[in-house]
Amino acid sequence: MMDVGRHPNITLYSYSEVDALTGFVGNFHITIRRKARYVVESECTACNDCVEVCPVVVPDEYQQGFSSRKAIYIPFPQAVPSAYVLNMEECLGNNPIACGKCAEACEKKCIDYDMQDELINIEVGVVIVATGMEVYDPTELDEFGYTRHENVVTSMEFERLICAGGPTEGHFLRPTDRETPKTIGFIQCVGSRSENRGNPYCSNICCMNTVKDTLLLRDHYPDIEAKVFYIDIRAFGKGFEDLYKRSREGGVKYIRGIPGEIEENPETKNLLLTVENTTTGQLEKHELQMVVLSLGLVPRHDGDLLKRFLTLSNTVDGFLMECHPKLKPVDAPTRGVFFAGCVEAPKDIKDSVTQAGAAAARASILLNAGKVKVEAITSRIIEEKCNYCGICARVCPYHAIMEPDRKAKKAPVVIQAACAGCGTCAAECPQDAIEMRHYRDEQYLAQIEALMAERPHEHIVTFACNWCSYPGGDDAGTARLQYPTSCRLIRTMCSGRVDEDFVMHAFRLGAPIVLVSGCHFSDCHYIDAVQWTQKRVERMWNKLERLGIRPERLQLDWISAADGQKFARVMRELEEMLKTVTMEEIKHTMEVLSNGKAEKKATAAKKAKVKKKTPTKKAKVE
Amino acid sequence: MPEAKFKCLRCGHEYTGSYTPGTPQELTCPKCRSNSVRRLPEKKPAQKD
Repeated sequence: MMDVGRHPNITLYSYSEVDALTGFVGNFHITIRRKARYVVESECTACNDCVEVCPVVVPDEYQQGFSSRKAIYIPFPQAVPSAYVLNMEECLGNNPIACGKCAEACEKKCIDYDMQDELINIEVGVVIVATGMEVYDPTELDEFGYTRHENVVTSMEFERLICAGGPTEGHFLRPTDRETPKTIGFIQCVGSRSENRGNPYCSNICCMNTVKDTLLLRDHYPDIEAKVFYIDIRAFGKGFEDLYKRSREGGVKYIRGIPGEIEENPETKNLLLTVENTTTGQLEKHELQMVVLSLGLVPRHDGDLLKRFLTLSNTVDGFLMECHPKLKPVDAPTRGVFFAGCVEAPKDIKDSVTQAGAAAARASILLNAGKVKVEAITSRIIEEKCNYCGICARVCPYHAIMEPDRKAKKAPVVIQAACAGCGTCAAECPQDAIEMRHYRDEQYLAQIEALMAERPHEHIVTFACNWCSYPGGDDAGTARLQYPTSCRLIRTMCSGRVDEDFVMHAFRLGAPIVLVSGCHFSDCHYIDAVQWTQKRVERMWNKLERLGIRPERLQLDWISAADGQKFARVMRELEEMLKTVTMEEIKHTMEVLSNGKAEKKATAAKKAKVKKKTPTKKAKVE
Repeated sequence: MPEAKFKCLRCGHEYTGSYTPGTPQELTCPKCRSNSVRRLPEKKPAQKD
């Protein structure tokens, strides 16, 4: 932090928040709210005179509430800049008549009660998101009695208790009697690896954090008997297994099993843990003087705002999703945005530093180049066809299309640097006024025609997305999984590109079954484009039904890149479905769809239905 | 959350489940695990004259 604060090329905005963030790679506009400190940062010498006279005492968040601070304070010892902050909500009031003791005590006259939040606008080329994570709140796990039993503490609280800069100056004391405990237990996976409560994922750091804590205890207090209750210890990483061995050899007892209940002895305040030791199969009871809950990590509670600003998406566990887990692990799906640290997934310091270095390197490549290379698969507006409805701008997951101006008859504009080429806009455009470069409608229609040229009634036309379903098919192939040969794949960059026209064209040419497949919602490589796929397929089911065609003949499946098993299973199931589609049915479908009137009639029927739902102004007046 | 009837277009299984209006959800048939699950339109009660 000190280095960052002193670096000539880094401007550090401490005690600040991002109010707004717009733009695209190379042109991000950020509005920063620099919150009022009520202390003139440049003048403050951190002399502590103001703190000594401040009468307001509140729990210190940094010390996990084990000690107190004043309303004017430095958030933590190594804070940069080393200047005080006055918390106005805790202060007795900015009316000097009410208190004003700090202003009186400050010789440099740094206290400014009239200071206001300052809005700063800056323009940047790239953004690195390193907003971190939060720790799991264990209060919902009633069996551990956190907050009910004083001697049950969290791993964060333990850190403060054992730290030389902590409230006890490094003397490890248990909260109830201020005595060093003789026995201590660590419970692993609190809030992690649980399907019912907490989170299903592994938080990555807790096992090694506990191993480190036990070694620390052994070094400082060799007489303390430590026990670790675990599901399984995950000590992967350089030197981690050695640390684990050292901990075991040092006398720490590792018991495989998570306690089902913690009871407190009301007299001694000791804790009685009931646990099934899954190694021996025995139900055991352990009396300990203190218990540490090894907490898992969770995404930040205010992550939604960030996602909205930068058009990001998250994985099913709530952490932000990278562009590609293997090929672009530090890039966000939005070009020019990079991740560092736990904002992307739980990780330890070493991994965070590695990722931060990679993110900085990735960012500097863009900045040094001074220009952006984009894939040549972006969308293009065909102005002559556009009716300025603006659907394209609304559906774009990247906000890469600027709204049209209907009055001025100005067509929407695609920001080429921001467009990722998913094709959702092209598929949704009712006027076919958007062309995807290299993935044009004509190319897809030609592919469908080629597939349907011979024995169309024997083929399942499958639209598979480039990132998940298509590699899912590859996975099935490389794993030598058997599936019917009736499947005919058409690769799209995203399932969001699958236009209604493509599906109808396949049916028109005699396809018995059409499958649209893409990434799972949480894996979508184009933020939320897959949601538009689902909406569109639902619309198509309704349309097919209106036309008298079985909607079952249009199938939808989300297949991940590693799910060759599912790909093969789906193909086998569709082969069975294919057998139920008769030649008469196929001919009827071909006739209905070749006769444009029927399709128009179905569309008109839908419009009439919508009109009926929304009464006209006249009807309202009546 | 409101409830609706869903039908799997692969195995034909019909079931009742909750959904968030206006937000597309990844739907999976509890019987055959297919994602070809369609939310059936609600049947409105006939209006009396």
